[in-house]
Amino acid sequence: MDYQQLAKKIVQRAKKKGAQQAEAFLEVGRQSSVRVHQGQIEDLTQSTSKGVGVRVLVKDRLGFAYTSDFEPAALDHIIDQAVKLAGAAAPNKLNGLPSGKELGRYADTGLLFDTKVAELPGDWKLKAALEAEKAGKAEDPRIIAFNAVGAGDFVSEVYVASTEGLSGAYSGTYVYVYAMPVASDGQGLQTGYWLDYKRFLDDLEAPESVGREAARRAVRMLGAKRVKTQQVPVIFDPLVAASFVSDLASAADGNAVYQKASVLAPLKGKRLAGEHVTLVDDGLLPRGLATAPFDGEGVPTRRTPILDKGVMSGFLYDAFTARKAKARTTGNASRSYNALPSIGTTNLYLEPGTKSPQELLKDVDSGLYVTALLGHGADRVTGELSAGANGIWIEKGELTYPVQEVTVAGNLLRMLKDLDGIGSDLQFRGGSVGAPTVRFRQLTVSGE
Amino acid sequence: MPRASASPRRAPTSQLVPPMMTRVASAAPLLPQPLIERLLAVAMERGGDFAEVYVERTLTTAVRLEESRIKSAQVGLVQGVGVRVISAGKVGYAFSDDWEEPALLRAASTAAMIAQGGGAEKSFPVRRAAVPSHYHVATPLMDVDVALKTALLTRADKAARAFDARVKQVNAAYVDQTRRIAVANTHGRYTEDVQDLGRLSVTVVAQGKGGEQRTGMYGGGGRVPFSHWDTFPPEGVAREAARQAVATLGAVECVAGPQTVVLAPGWSGILLHEAVGHGLEADFIRKGTSLYAGKLGEKVASDLVTVIDDGTVSSGRGSINIDDEGNPGERKVLIENGILKGYLYDSLNAQLMGQRSTGSGRRESFKHLPLPRMTNTFLAPGDHAPEDILKEVKRGLYCATFGGGQVDITNGNFVFEVSEAYQIEDGKLGRPVKGATLIGVGPEALKNVSRVGCDPMPDPGMGVCGKNGQSMPVGVGLPTVRIDNVTVGGTKVA
Repeated sequence: MDYQQLAKKIVQRAKKKGAQQAEAFLEVGRQSSVRVHQGQIEDLTQSTSKGVGVRVLVKDRLGFAYTSDFEPAALDHIIDQAVKLAGAAAPNKLNGLPSGKELGRYADTGLLFDTKVAELPGDWKLKAALEAEKAGKAEDPRIIAFNAVGAGDFVSEVYVASTEGLSGAYSGTYVYVYAMPVASDGQGLQTGYWLDYKRFLDDLEAPESVGREAARRAVRMLGAKRVKTQQVPVIFDPLVAASFVSDLASAADGNAVYQKASVLAPLKGKRLAGEHVTLVDDGLLPRGLATAPFDGEGVPTRRTPILDKGVMSGFLYDAFTARKAKARTTGNASRSYNALPSIGTTNLYLEPGTKSPQELLKDVDSGLYVTALLGHGADRVTGELSAGANGIWIEKGELTYPVQEVTVAGNLLRMLKDLDGIGSDLQFRGGSVGAPTVRFRQLTVSGE
Repeated sequence: MPRASASPRRAPTSQLVPPMMTRVASAAPLLPQPLIERLLAVAMERGGDFAEVYVERTLTTAVRLEESRIKSAQVGLVQGVGVRVISAGKVGYAFSDDWEEPALLRAASTAAMIAQGGGAEKSFPVRRAAVPSHYHVATPLMDVDVALKTALLTRADKAARAFDARVKQVNAAYVDQTRRIAVANTHGRYTEDVQDLGRLSVTVVAQGKGGEQRTGMYGGGGRVPFSHWDTFPPEGVAREAARQAVATLGAVECVAGPQTVVLAPGWSGILLHEAVGHGLEADFIRKGTSLYAGKLGEKVASDLVTVIDDGTVSSGRGSINIDDEGNPGERKVLIENGILKGYLYDSLNAQLMGQRSTGSGRRESFKHLPLPRMTNTFLAPGDHAPEDILKEVKRGLYCATFGGGQVDITNGNFVFEVSEAYQIEDGKLGRPVKGATLIGVGPEALKNVSRVGCDPMPDPGMGVCGKNGQSMPVGVGLPTVRIDNVTVGGTKVA
């Protein structure tokens, strides 16, 4: 089926049925994944999926409908539904699809599609998962089982069209391998988690290496205990630092800022951190997982610094919110076919510093190295963070014994001020949010 | 890691098991029975041990309000068929959102590949089985006029803003689903169910002195007819969200370290969901990766603790006539007076472990494999009067409303985010505190349960539980409870 043509036809049809503006966002994908258990397949899944969302404007009112059924009658039905539903929404002069001017020209994204991934034989995934499991077990005799270990791939195509001149498409590939081993010392159980998720097969960490690292992370937590309640320097490893970075970006959401429901709302142009802190959302990052020519409503993606050398420099917008806030869209409309666009991040990362993680540790006399957080992260309205933590105690610059059943607490703004060290080890671990090791001068650790 | 999140609400109903009724739905089948049987035959053509066809058609309606306006109204249809084949404990799964026969047959052949054998094609006739009826939604929610749904939001917005001048932002959403499923397997069992689910949620931001902002969140719903909103009006939901936001203005820093905590009834049941529920799911038990594995018959909690997972609660958000493997929802006693009594089984893990399914095999959609999951998880009420529980505490923390929680199944560490908390001083509520999080290890925390109130209270119907990337509606419930020596996370060091 010519999906680009289908998207255009849906738009024309919606216009005929009374929509002043109409847009179709269509996704097609195929995926396969495998999980293994004790050297055998546990399950193997294969599928194809598709869907289209239709956004219409009727007299400044917004209607939306979606379907996974591409039969002509079903498509006709959802177009009718979208037009009808617009009648239930309130008119708003600010409603509207991105204009021709906002759509603009697409920048060069570099390659998004890897034929090696698209043509990956089924037994590659099985072999990769088995290798990760075997290597994890071999790493340490205390590895007794796996919560899960597996691999998979995903090929997706996106097509968009609108009455405002939008017409675009791209396709991309994704491949991943992950391991969650469990270690036992006879007294207690601990788990570790490691994975890699990339667009290109050649960028993917070797499955053995994923299995081994996951095993090391599980084993090193054996014998974990609480520590005393105290305020100490705290280091986040890159996996945990990525969740701090996500919390910051969530507070930079243009709609939260417009509603003054973000701790960052009044701080545009203000210095929030040292010169060494630069936080960027970059929809054009070469080989990035979230790299794409356009966002969920066809607007070209771009690089948006949120914190530029420590100064609050930009918020993230989609077209509607930008209009409301008298700002410009930053191409951050995030989307799947079954939802309206909403503001989200693309490739989001904290720029790396120059120190190795070891150097960051070296200066800490007594503190906590955090390797996992439990909870939902910071509250963007107040900036408060209070989360469960697993990690390793730092004594005289060295990692010593494992720690669990404690929390770390602070405030995003204070944490930015206290961010006194950024490692050189930037990594995108299992997603489109990247971070290096980071060190905070002081957080409250709650324990005994 | 398993994670549950949502926002709270209080429901007026108690946890009564309705008279069991059985029925065979009369609507036309989702897929013709001969086609389902044909798919089962193709799925078994390489000699699998078991095959199952899962058919789903879900209509979702969502309306949103922002800045006192209905921002959007939407509907969507997602439908598809998943075919699962089990051979020597290995699972092959394929799904298709294309209902054309060739696409469905292709999915069945793909799933069949997990088996290595061959042989003659056999036939697998199925028979429609009656299913219980724990929810009664005469008019499917998808057929309710969308204008009635947007009206709920407008009413909520008005009530929240009228509550207090410090209310600055109100966001509200109403989402409902009418989900039809059919499950047929090579044991000859064929069941269907219609699962309606509605939910209203309101988020309020209040602003106090010096620009301080606080959020309140409340909502509710369940497998309820639209008339539910007559007895559980949006104004009440909105006022509760606004009350939380305003009440927490001026909150002081939370003191970090161990404290005695008292949990308000209702949504606090999320503590059980995290502290024990996930750890009793059979997939973790079979692999030996849960700290509750091998502990049946052992003492894992205080004598006061009896935990029940009940898929049969009338109109409950987590209730199911059948699970997503076609087995009836059940009421299971998991912990009785502190002794571990049972686990939550889906059919595959049950079979591999020589047990029977407890009707706990659930899946988000046809795109997912079933996993053992909770339904509505409650702590049975005890003997203590709730007001006495508070009165007895000299110094501690009263946890009134809750954000969400998360657990690490393996080491049992769980967190529990408290969105509205007060200092307790000499048995009375003191100042609100901010940024409090409870952390503990499941069995240790449950051994420290020292009072259980006589006030049974299911949550209002807001819970969404996440596991392995699959979201599932669940219910929780807890009476007023006191737990000693809980580590409270906060920013202030005493």
